Amino acid sequence: MAEFEPRIVAFLCNWCAYAGADLAGVSRLQYPANLRTVRVMCSGRVDPAFILKALRQTSDGVLVGG
Amino acid sequence: MRMTRKLLELAGIGAERLHVEWVSSAEAQRFADIAAAVVASLKEQGPLDHEAAGMRLEACEMTVNAEPLRWLVGKEVKITSRGDVYGRPWSQDRYESLMDAMLEREYQKNLIYLAVQGGCTSVRAISERVGLGLKRVSYLLADLEKTKRVEFKGMEQKKPLFGAL
Repeated sequence: MAEFEPRIVAFLCNWCAYAGADLAGVSRLQYPANLRTVRVMCSGRVDPAFILKALRQTSDGVLVGG
Repeated sequence: MRMTRKLLELAGIGAERLHVEWVSSAEAQRFADIAAAVVASLKEQGPLDHEAAGMRLEACEMTVNAEPLRWLVGKEVKITSRGDVYGRPWSQDRYESLMDAMLEREYQKNLIYLAVQGGCTSVRAISERVGLGLKRVSYLLADLEKTKRVEFKGMEQKKPLFGAL
């Protein structure tokens, strides 16, 4: 059986973590492809309801990056 | 965030499924490390059983979207720094314990509501469906009745039956 690949929804702040993820891509750092990124303008925008909704709709985990 | 964690814990989903990290725009390596760590942690925890967790997550969603907790969260700073409407000061600990109690109560109420909606009519059936004691269920049912979310449908073999509104 193939190894379990978790599906993770990542809420990333446009100015911090999203730019960091972008830079990681540009500088060709390897990181797992399990993250499904949602760009938000600030991590303060993330509502608890978003997290619960993500978990309800087939994701296995949530990452909030600010 | 603390509230969401607590709620996931209550729902038996596990607060470890939610990760919160701070990465600056210049820290590409840190981002890659965090991504790897999060994936590793979730691989360890295994997949989330969406079928089984569906009702509990729905109850969580109803809880965070409802007014009582939104109010309480919005007033946190005011209550803990300047006191409540009677001018009584609240310590952070006291506020948090109130929050936890309310979170648990609202979550359980929503869970019961969903169970009733899903066709559980007697107290025993609801109790089995949501995994709460009979006493707790009937206590919360009375509360749900008062707020007009469930209604008393009548008796069947000396057992009270309920329906969702």
